[in-house]
This record gives sequence, structure tokens and C-alpha cells, in this order.
Amino acid sequence: MRPPGPTVPSAASSSSYSQREPRPENPLLLLPSSRVTKLSLGCPLLDRLLSGGLPAASVTEIAGESATGKTQLCLQLALLAPQSPLSASSLFLYSDLPFPLHRLRRLAPKSRPDILDHVLVAAAHSPTDLLSLLARAQRLLANPGRSPHRLPIRLILLDSVASLFRADFDASPADLRRRSALFFQISAKLKELAYRHQCVVVVTNQVMDVVEGDAGNTVAWSSGRRVSPALGIAWANCVNTRLFLTREVDGDGASGGARRRMKVAFAPHLPDRSCEFVIRRDGVFGVEPAER
Amino acid sequence: MGEQSGKFLLCSHYILIFAWAQNAWDMLSDEQSQKHITTGSGDLNDILGGGIHCKEVTEIGGVPGVGKTQLGIQLAINVQIPVEYGGLGGKAVYIDTEGSFMVERVYQIAEGCIRDILEHFPHSHEKSSSGQKQLQPEHFLADIYYFRICSYTEQIAVINYLEKFLGEHKDVRIVVIDSVTFHFRQDFEDLALRTRVLSGLSLKLMKIAKTYNLAVVLLNQVTTKFTEGSFQLTLALGDSWSHSCTNRLILYWNGNERYAHLDKSPSLPVASAPYAVTGKGIRDALHTNLREVDATEQATTVFLYLNVWHILHSQIEKQLQGGQLPIGMDNS
Repeated sequence: MRPPGPTVPSAASSSSYSQREPRPENPLLLLPSSRVTKLSLGCPLLDRLLSGGLPAASVTEIAGESATGKTQLCLQLALLAPQSPLSASSLFLYSDLPFPLHRLRRLAPKSRPDILDHVLVAAAHSPTDLLSLLARAQRLLANPGRSPHRLPIRLILLDSVASLFRADFDASPADLRRRSALFFQISAKLKELAYRHQCVVVVTNQVMDVVEGDAGNTVAWSSGRRVSPALGIAWANCVNTRLFLTREVDGDGASGGARRRMKVAFAPHLPDRSCEFVIRRDGVFGVEPAER
Repeated sequence: MGEQSGKFLLCSHYILIFAWAQNAWDMLSDEQSQKHITTGSGDLNDILGGGIHCKEVTEIGGVPGVGKTQLGIQLAINVQIPVEYGGLGGKAVYIDTEGSFMVERVYQIAEGCIRDILEHFPHSHEKSSSGQKQLQPEHFLADIYYFRICSYTEQIAVINYLEKFLGEHKDVRIVVIDSVTFHFRQDFEDLALRTRVLSGLSLKLMKIAKTYNLAVVLLNQVTTKFTEGSFQLTLALGDSWSHSCTNRLILYWNGNERYAHLDKSPSLPVASAPYAVTGKGIRDALHTNLREVDATEQATTVFLYLNVWHILHSQIEKQLQGGQLPIGMDNS
């Protein structure tokens, strides 16, 4: 007989939370065996890289150049969530217009025509826009009973965080400070939603070129360029797990394909390792290392 | 009682004649009876004078991914090492402000700790059955009082609550806050208020460390600060924290390796030591040619902390002057 999970204070009571005494949780009750805490990527190799999948109550960033598979992965996750043990709807917040509806339709399994009912979509045009969307999401998550025909939302996707900050900010120190403050506000909100409702949160990010200097654990070679996820060290402090998608163009070009790699840049629960993958019509899948 | 005190002046368990004053002998024996919490790495323990000190506040800062949370979890496990194996046999409070506390990793680190204990104490099966029973990862997990907080108001509330909690749980020997500044880095309309709140929290934590004879470990993030015409790496919200920590440890990358730099200590010299994050947790780094590491040799990767330290790594500076925010050191 499994012990019941810890009672997690709901978002509705978050304002009164500080008026009650804080209660410690027993980490034993947080062990994976007691409840579903990971969302599988639908591929055993990628799941092995991530020790089971993307963790709930945590913010995972997927960073990479354009066309490395970030959006594809997000769409794939949104479609997997209702069918997985997580059994959840997803909230897809997009700032890269337009929303890739065609791709989503193409990826959806024919056997489940209702699956798109479980993908909620909203456009975020600016950081403040995103914050108000997250406030609405908080109300939505706190009142699941209002839409009984839809699975509870337990996956939140943001594609991409970098596009939200493209305009409106110069490189002046004051603007960078203002931008950083918004990172922490957004991250705190995402993490609160993730924790209170045991959601998986995925945020995609673009990359910028790194001119010179030593590589960090967040610098990689992709398409012959040295790149690093955008938004700097401030945003890096705001995510729990960072996954880096890179593309290596084969030296001789004969194979015609790019070698793609998903790398764990940092994660509290994963060693630094990577896995090759491919993007097919039906999704993103890991592959064993190709014979040279 | 007074006669006994006169006879056995150097015994660490003697009773003070004058309860209101401590002389130097008292303080020395007090220090010796202070325990240290091992970090898991002998090199790291060495620069720390044995490990993380009880009765003191230690700030540990570093870039994302360098191992702050790993060290925090390792300490929360190592504080529980039973006394018969050289540990404190205490419990831990872990205040998680960012959601980095992944239970499966804590379980792994607990397993690693137990494996090492059994390796070092191969005759442990001869010990009392109660000692043996404790060496299960589940027990280590259950003895961590885990608080997850989601806002700065919750953080203030839990730190205020700690005094009462620790009064009721006297076996806690470490309080880890991971990380201490995350929720304070949003925009605050009243920055002076934020500084006052943070100062108040840091004073409270210092008092808790001394009153309950435990170690307070504050994990902090690294940020870039625009001072003297350029961006420099510094610990977040340093203005509010700089005076409040007894010890400061900076974790950084040097090439492919992780290093820890003791930046502030009341009694120990400034020094650096390598360490590794392994499947079992924090351990010594594997060095083929381990050499003495001193502050000047590690000059290339020391952080600026307000006006005390300067970045000497010319490559970071070049990056910063080029308008890039620096990321960290090499790890390919």
C-alpha cells in the first residue's frame, strides 16, 4: 500500500500560504515510484539520455540554432502528453509566429483525432504578455473542474523565450538589468506552476555566436559556429536543466545529412552526456552512434 | 564542581565557573569540539580546515552547472554520517527555492556515501545492529527536512519559522538554502527594503548557526555587474550579503576541471582545490599529477567579488568587452 503523496498547496491558497506554518516534505514521498514524475520523449534512447524523460516540477530548457528540432520536440511532447502516464493536456505558449499548426496536425496520430483537444495554444508577444498569460494559466490550473472533458494541464511549453526579448532591450546596463529582472520573474512563475501542479515545463531558446575565449559547459559547436544559448548567464541561472541541440555538418558532405546531437549542458540529476538523434516526418528520435 | 573545573581545565567537558564569560581556553576547546561536515572531497576538506564548519555561515557561489546543488545535497547527506563512522549523526534542513533538489539524485548520493562508508569500515557488520540499520538510502532521505518555497515571502516565512522548528528538532546540524538570492532578483520597487530584508535574513541565519550549533550553507548564483567601466562576474546581490557570511567558497571551471576557491575565512588562508562531481556525488578530482595549488596559480579563474577580487582571466575580460556576457569555463 503506497503512502499517499504529500499534499501540495494549491495555487489558490498561495496568497495565504505564508500565513500558515511552513511544512517540511518527506523526500521519501517524492521518490519516482510514488507518482509519475517524468514525461517520456517517445524514444527509448532519448529517454535514456534523460534518465526517463523530462522531469515534472522543473524547468527544462532546449537550446539550439534554428531548425535543430526544438519546435518539433515541443510539438511531439504536446502530442505525447495525453497518451503517456502523465495523462495530461499541454499549454503551448508561442512567441515565434505563426503557430506551426500544419506540423502539429501532421504529427498527430490518426488513431486519436481528439488529441488536439488536449493542446491549448496561446501567443505571447512580450515578456509582460507572457506574465499575464501565466497568471491566467495559474487560474486555469487551479480550477481543473471547469473543463471536465479535457485532461488536466501538466505540460507547459514556451517556444521560444529568446524571441520575447528580441525587441525593446538595448545592451545598456540598465536595460540588461531590467531584462534580467524579468527573467527571474518569469522563471519564478514557471517554477511555481511547475511545483504546485507537478507540471513539466519546457522552454526553448535560441543561440548566439560566441566570439572567442574558453568554452563553458554551455558553449558548443553547431554548424561550424561556436554558439551559446541566448540571454546570457542571467537566464542560465533561471532554468534547472539545459539541453543543447547541435548540428554537425559531415566533413565530406557525402552522406547528405547532418549529424544531430542532444547534449546535457547541465542538470541537477544527469551526468554530462549526449545522444545522436534524427528528425523524421514522424518526430525526433535518438539513434545509436553511426559507424564511421 | 568548581574544584573539578580547576583540576581538569583542558577537558572539553568541564563546567565553566563563570557562565557569562569565555576565556581563550574555553574558546579553543569550543572550537575543537565544533565539528566539521565533510564535503566528500579530501582536497576540498583540506582548504576548509576539515570541512564545512558548524556555528558558521558559509556562502557557496558559482556559475550554473558547476556543482553548487551537488555540494549542497552532498552536505545534507554527509551530515548524517553516523558518529561511529566519524560523522555528526545529524539531520538536515534543505530549503529549495529553485526546484533543483531531484530526489533520484539525492538517493544516488546517499547510496554513494553508504558505499564509501562500508569500504572504509569493512568490519561494520560487527557494529551494533542499530548502527547498521541506519545505512539505508531511505533513512538518509527521510532525515532531510525538505522545504520548497516559491516566492521571497515564503522564503522570509520559512527562515522566520526555522528558529521554532530547530528548537523542536535539535538533531539538525545543517541548514542548506539553494539558492538564497533567486527570489530576490526580480524587480523590487523599493530596493532599500530588499537590502534591509536580506540583511535581516542573514543576521537571523548567523544567529541560528550559533544558537543551534549547526552549519548554515547558502548557495548563491553568479551574475555580471557593471563596475568600473566593464562587466565583471560577481555573486548575486553581493551588497546585501558580503558582510554576513563567515566563509565564502567560489566554485569555478578551470579548463575541464572544477575548482573551489576559499575566498573568505576567519582563520584559514585563501586557497583553491580541485573537486569532481561523480555518480556517487562530490569526490576528489582525479589528477595524474596533483600539484600544490595556490592562489596566484589560480589567478586566471578567480572571481571579482565587489572590490575585493578581480577577474584576471583575460579571455573573460575580452569577451565582456566584446559585449558578450560570459558563460563559464571550458567543459567539452
